[in-house]
Amino acid sequence: MTVLPQLIVSTLLLGGIYALIAVGLTLTFGVMRVVNFAHGEFLMLGMYLALFAFARLHFDPYVTLVLSLPISFAVGWASYRGVMRPIVHASHNVQVFTTVGLSIALQNLALVLWTADARFLRTDYYAVVVRIGGAAFNVAQIVAFALAVALTAGLFAFMRWSYIGKVMRATAQDRDASALMGIDTDRVYAITWAVGIACVGAAGVLLAPIYPVYPTAGLQFVLIAYVAVVLGGLGDMAGALIAALAVAAVEVAGSYTIGTAWKEVLYLLLFIGILVVRPAGLFGQRGAEALGT
Amino acid sequence: MKTAMWTVIVLGIVALALGAGIVQGQQAPTGEYKIGVLEPLTGNLAVQGKLHVEGYEIMRDLINTRFGGVMGKKLVFAVGDAVDPTAAASEATRLAAREGVKIITGTFSSTLCGAASEAAARQNVIYWETSCVDPRMTRRNLKNVFRTEIDGTGFGWYNVEFIAKHLAHRLGKKTSELKIAYLSEDSSYGQSVTESARQRAKQEFGMQEVGPEYYASSTNDLTPVILKLKATNPDILHHIARDPDAILFWRQAREQNFQVKAVVHAGATGYGTPGFGKAFGNDANGPFALLEPGPGFIIEKLRPEGQAVERAFREAVKAKTGSDVLAGGHQLAAGGLWVLKLALDAAKTDDLDKFRPAVLALDLPVGSAVNGWGVKFDETGQNSNARVQHYMLQWQNGSLVTVWPEEFTTHRAKWIPLGPWDQRK
Repeated sequence: MTVLPQLIVSTLLLGGIYALIAVGLTLTFGVMRVVNFAHGEFLMLGMYLALFAFARLHFDPYVTLVLSLPISFAVGWASYRGVMRPIVHASHNVQVFTTVGLSIALQNLALVLWTADARFLRTDYYAVVVRIGGAAFNVAQIVAFALAVALTAGLFAFMRWSYIGKVMRATAQDRDASALMGIDTDRVYAITWAVGIACVGAAGVLLAPIYPVYPTAGLQFVLIAYVAVVLGGLGDMAGALIAALAVAAVEVAGSYTIGTAWKEVLYLLLFIGILVVRPAGLFGQRGAEALGT
Repeated sequence: MKTAMWTVIVLGIVALALGAGIVQGQQAPTGEYKIGVLEPLTGNLAVQGKLHVEGYEIMRDLINTRFGGVMGKKLVFAVGDAVDPTAAASEATRLAAREGVKIITGTFSSTLCGAASEAAARQNVIYWETSCVDPRMTRRNLKNVFRTEIDGTGFGWYNVEFIAKHLAHRLGKKTSELKIAYLSEDSSYGQSVTESARQRAKQEFGMQEVGPEYYASSTNDLTPVILKLKATNPDILHHIARDPDAILFWRQAREQNFQVKAVVHAGATGYGTPGFGKAFGNDANGPFALLEPGPGFIIEKLRPEGQAVERAFREAVKAKTGSDVLAGGHQLAAGGLWVLKLALDAAKTDDLDKFRPAVLALDLPVGSAVNGWGVKFDETGQNSNARVQHYMLQWQNGSLVTVWPEEFTTHRAKWIPLGPWDQRK
């Protein structure tokens, strides 16, 4: 089967993109127990940042990537202070409505500022592909995949071994006990939210040379990122990476063998099937919902 | 002597004024006639919606200042925002009930026109569609619904006409030897264009087919589809796309070195939008898109009355936008509003019982109106596919230029068959 190498490559590269988006989501999910429905819109903002930095300042997206980390972190910090802080202890309903509201507000802000036009960040190397063994690798996608793996490993190490990571895990496990131990949980949440937004902002910058940029661009990725996060086990980063690859494999194989129209049905069936057998996801522990456990 | 001189001057001015009126063939409108304009002005469809409103406004001003208004009255608008189907229905109701309009025109998108026209029917108001191509809109036996633009089946009809009458001989093949691959996003627009093209290609010309393959326009990866298509080695790709998926497909097709002899699209989305050219520059060279006439269009080929209004429209667009290149939204809205003016002038009333027979009686050959259109509505309220002349445009060095029918254009189709990706310059 001559197309098999290409299908495997497509799975890896697409799965890498999904993992890149899912990793920030699983962080906020795991530590704060907040479902961020505006995650896709922060991805979209990262894509626009890369687009405008390229178009107006002639910054290569990989230069913008470095700049995007502090910018996205600051945006995340500000959005936590302005929007999330008042509702972080509220019911899930309030959190859902707030983040959905934030999502709609950001989408419409982008529409007003930048119109609904689909734009494309066309670098000089956008068409460069590496061909090995009958498979074509898009260079930008290889970079995105490598950074997804690196980011997942880095965050895993950060959560496992750094002091702040331990504090975040402690807060995730028991918010009240952590506060009694002297942990400033409000600050932990602000850092968690900002790191999550920095991750997805960086993902947006990496996606800009691969996908068209438009105000609802985040939506097409974020549903799959949710699936990967839940499938991998809430808060489990390695689980999210593996689940993202599994979803991508189902999509690619389903598109090729059955038809593209069926691919969403197929990965959602996989999602439901796994949750029926393992309600905590592939790698999650029932009731734990904690990072690194 | 002085009195005689003043008399001559006054008579001269009167004569000039009358002369101007004769030249225009119209008198200045008196009083106002209001219609509803319903377009998406916020949300994802807002860019096209605003272009349509601008097109309506350009044509409205032209009608009022140079063509005597409608039914002798100055045409004015009450505007509504149809951001989604629910809003389209509620705004149509508001325009009818609160603004008191008897005619609503809009809404450009196939996702909106069904809801808007249903609501208009409930208010017993005429619904005059100028852009949406969903064939179902005129198949519901609603007597208040009319559409000036061709429907999705018309797009498919014209695409196959182009393939059979132009591409086949340029490729040195009989139509029955051509293998067409059908790929489309899965909305009613994409499906109706694709299915009508398939039907005509097979039944009238015996073309071979691959597919059809439908996908959601929000898809993140088209590589598996491209691999499948590549294995079947089609001559022509009939691809109906929205904007993001057209860009994604073109990039991934290039990565996979997917070669076809021609790519044919229809409508002001995907390959038919300026965004496609902006995204790829000269790397966009090659694909065809069925649209209203673009650069290269020879206005002198139209009938005299068509030339007059087309020239006036193009001058007005240039005065407004500073550009010689017309936007599809401008052309569809203005073309549709012009036909509405002709219908109202013929009917002399907006009473549906009298308006409808007058619309059905309109019989103008191709080349009589804006965009080179003709007019002949059928019983469903649909303008005739054959009368609403459409044109094939091709991406050539950053511009969409008119290439077919050849008698209407100064440009010629290039890259048939499409060469290797890096040699389409």
